Amino acid sequence: MSHINPDFADDITKFGAKDFNLCFNCGNCTAVCSLSTNDATFPREMIRYSTLGLEDEIKSSLKPWLCYYCGECSSDCPRQANPGELMMSLRRWLTATYDWTGLSGLLYKHMSVYIGGMIALLAAVVGFIYYSGLSKEVVMHYGHLFEMFAIAGVFAVILLPNIIRMWYFTVIKPKVKAPIKVYFKALSELFVHMFTQKRFLGCEDTKENRTRWLLHFILVLSYLSLLFTTVFLDWFSTSSTFVIWLGYVESAAIFIITTVFMSMRVRKTDAMHKHSQPSDWFFVIWLFLMGITSFAVRLLIDLNLINTLFWVFTIHFTVLVQWALIIVPFGKWTHFLYRSFAMYFERIIGLNNQLKK
Amino acid sequence: MSPLNDDKDSITSSFYLTKQTSFRIAMKQRIGVYICHCGGNISDYVDVEQLSKLIANEDNVVISKDVMFACSDSTQKDMVQDINDQKLDAIVVASCTPKLHTHTFRNVAIRSGLNPYNYTQVNVREQCSWAHSDKPMDATIKAYGLIRAGINRVKYSEALENIEITAQKAVGVIGAGISGMRAAVDLARMGNHVYLIEKEANVGGRVAESGKLFMTGENGKDVIDRLYKRIKEIPEITVFTNANLDKVSGSIGDFTLEVSVKDEALKLNVGAVLVTTGFDFYQPKEGEYGYKLSDNVITLQQFNKLIETSNDKLVYNGNAIKSVAYIYCVGSRQSKGENKYCSRQCCSAAIHSSLNVHEKFSGVKAFHLYRDIRTYGKQELLYTESSRKGDIYIKYEEKEPPAVEVKNNKTVITVKDYLTYKKELSFDVDLVVLVTGMVPRSDSNDISSKLKIPTGSDRFFNEIHPKLKPVETVIKGVYIGGTCQGPKNITESVQSSLAAASKINTILRKGTLELEPIVARVNAETCLWCEKCAAVCEYDAIKPIESNGKMIAQVNTSTCVGCGICGPVCPSNSIEIVQFTDNEIESMIDGFMEKAEINTKQDSQENEISSGKQIKLNGFPKIWREIASALDDKTLTIPQLSEQLGVESNVLTWHLMTMNRYGVVEPAGLDEDEAYYMYKLKK
Repeated sequence: MSHINPDFADDITKFGAKDFNLCFNCGNCTAVCSLSTNDATFPREMIRYSTLGLEDEIKSSLKPWLCYYCGECSSDCPRQANPGELMMSLRRWLTATYDWTGLSGLLYKHMSVYIGGMIALLAAVVGFIYYSGLSKEVVMHYGHLFEMFAIAGVFAVILLPNIIRMWYFTVIKPKVKAPIKVYFKALSELFVHMFTQKRFLGCEDTKENRTRWLLHFILVLSYLSLLFTTVFLDWFSTSSTFVIWLGYVESAAIFIITTVFMSMRVRKTDAMHKHSQPSDWFFVIWLFLMGITSFAVRLLIDLNLINTLFWVFTIHFTVLVQWALIIVPFGKWTHFLYRSFAMYFERIIGLNNQLKK
Repeated sequence: MSPLNDDKDSITSSFYLTKQTSFRIAMKQRIGVYICHCGGNISDYVDVEQLSKLIANEDNVVISKDVMFACSDSTQKDMVQDINDQKLDAIVVASCTPKLHTHTFRNVAIRSGLNPYNYTQVNVREQCSWAHSDKPMDATIKAYGLIRAGINRVKYSEALENIEITAQKAVGVIGAGISGMRAAVDLARMGNHVYLIEKEANVGGRVAESGKLFMTGENGKDVIDRLYKRIKEIPEITVFTNANLDKVSGSIGDFTLEVSVKDEALKLNVGAVLVTTGFDFYQPKEGEYGYKLSDNVITLQQFNKLIETSNDKLVYNGNAIKSVAYIYCVGSRQSKGENKYCSRQCCSAAIHSSLNVHEKFSGVKAFHLYRDIRTYGKQELLYTESSRKGDIYIKYEEKEPPAVEVKNNKTVITVKDYLTYKKELSFDVDLVVLVTGMVPRSDSNDISSKLKIPTGSDRFFNEIHPKLKPVETVIKGVYIGGTCQGPKNITESVQSSLAAASKINTILRKGTLELEPIVARVNAETCLWCEKCAAVCEYDAIKPIESNGKMIAQVNTSTCVGCGICGPVCPSNSIEIVQFTDNEIESMIDGFMEKAEINTKQDSQENEISSGKQIKLNGFPKIWREIASALDDKTLTIPQLSEQLGVESNVLTWHLMTMNRYGVVEPAGLDEDEAYYMYKLKK
């Protein structure tokens, strides 16, 4: 027996959902969705659960992560109930639910907290650089060290526990008792989706036009490889021409593609970009800043101007800190991780069901 | 056979009107017959040309013509010309249904000086060409029979005059709710005196009891007050409150309503009666969704009162109400109960109440447990607004209704939500509101027995036809409006009572009214007043009268509808229906059963086939000719024909089977693979 929570609607509205109460369950969203399966519950089941506020059902569901927000459902909804935006909001809500610190929820719901956090980090970085009395080389060295420790720390303290919580909510609590070998067998799913977003290709609009998928694919690869290039190949200090050029290409790809994405959000031509939330803007702008500032820093190093124009590095470092401490652990970056794991868990559940039969 | 048939040329009817005016029926000698092509609708299947030639040979038929469109102006003019030139004394038109053109051809008769009742319509379109398009020959034979029946009938037709009645320009409106009041205003404005008869002490009925109304937002009481003020300014309207309708007598144009107002007895003479007696709200049974078992279960009417009387906070029995569950279709759409109908207005009423709650009080959650939301038309705005406000809609099915229980001082609802894959949901609410439907008034039986208005299976008063005669009852001069007829909202109620008002005005306006003379007629000589006819008459149209020293039956021609139920029960065969006399019916049967000899169209010169061989299929479907020309000298299977003609094989099969039956084609054994039958033309 499930318990209705009429207050859930107010809660999810704070995560960006709009007008989903107008849904009268006609099923058009399910009919047009190319990812909908034969049981005809995707995505309308989630909309119904949200209307009724069946939190337990939503918490244990992986379905919000299976949606790539092509926006077909929202444009075809006869009630303008924005099912696509609701699915997006549910992803934000789930991110907040998985997060043991509770900070995700705060940041999503209150833009003031988000901005406050960003300003606090800006002040900390600027203060550290200008009042520590350290030389510019040492600061850049600390920047590099920070990057390494931040990645390790955020992963160990925030992301890993959150993924374990996600696993608990979606696999363990619904009593899916899958043997270990199933976990190994399904592992390929995790990596394939993490790097390629294979499922995204199943969306109707992506089938017709693969540009968005391709841009996204290049962006993910560039971002991950730039991370590798800066952290492990030490891009800012290396003398290897190949690594230098590799870094340039990667960072250029990031700021060019994010510029395209930002212009889409400004133009609002397609359904997915009509309702940008602060978290969406922060994510895409900061990724853009990451790309352009790292490109600029390396360029200044190559032109031997870094000492005279050190404020550029200050900006880069600030952006990096904000990115690593707010957007990666609590912001939209986590979608990248949760979505991949959702595919993985879904595969585990599927394989386990096959095994039972 | 009736003795009247002995002399075929001229007979004297032994039937008399009760007025004792005897008359002779001369068998019609000069009959004109017109058979219509209907531009192909008829002539594509029925061999109209041959029929018109055959009919020309019938006894007493002077003119027999086939015409392209009988109803066209030019043909009508020709008919008038024929009637005058040939001195026709009766006409038969064989065309479409009498529903469509009876009046057209009656007017043709009138224009040429012929009595309109000396005309008979034969339906050879709906009953022949359309119904038997697969069997053109049979359709032609049937049409032949029907036309001959029509000719035989028209031979016996009598020249009749319409019955004229003087009408009182006064109307009795029973029930002064919004429908009756509004209709009274219009009836008075159109120049009728109106007696508005109300049982209660105050006018206004249910609307006066309701609060804010959709869509204007006005208060029901205010609407009624305004309307009543207007009524009081109109001298032609007499309002009786605390009045009781005791007895109704008379008939259309001249009813007498006996009304008692307190101790005073009145007799009101009116030309027509409008019944607007309204409805009752369904009273939930004890235990129905916890009604009367829990204090927290109330009806929508009680809830509306609560909304109206509560101020800052919604409080019931001292408890603040923060959540309300509305259970829909209580007392409506009961597939096993007695109220099978939908009450139309309750969905909108409940959602409207919910919106009123949101407007007046904040933070009240609403759960709507419905079966289907029927907020049609502009009421859809209510539904959208309520969804937007976050009201939760839960769909249940009749076989799995929600359960209302009281657990630990909480009213808990358990329901299987069909929109959530029949998931069982439970939640507790502060108040359960039962959205009750409409039922006929408890005293509606009394009214229907006094006015003889029939009731439907839903126990509401019945109109003649929901679309064609929506406010008329089978009792001439008695009209119904508003919710006494069935569930309606206020707009629809007023619309229907105004429709009735305008209908009433059309009959009363002239001061006289004309009725068709197709009514029962009594043979004064043979009638012995055994009362059998009066006993079966549903319209109370037969009363005894003294005539030549004995009692005989007398038909009230203004109440009789000509249904004919009195005829078969009469032991001495002394009562019959005008235009449906034994002579007419028996002669029609004779005409229809007469042997018909129709030639297949062997002599037609049309439709030469390319090979020079003549295939005579005129009058048959076009596809037959195509099949025939495709077959020619060859033998072909159905798939081969299908490919050649581009026609679906199942259609071809059907036509080939019919053509086989008519002897046009014949099977010519199996093909090489023994998979299909081959067909060839029959020589």
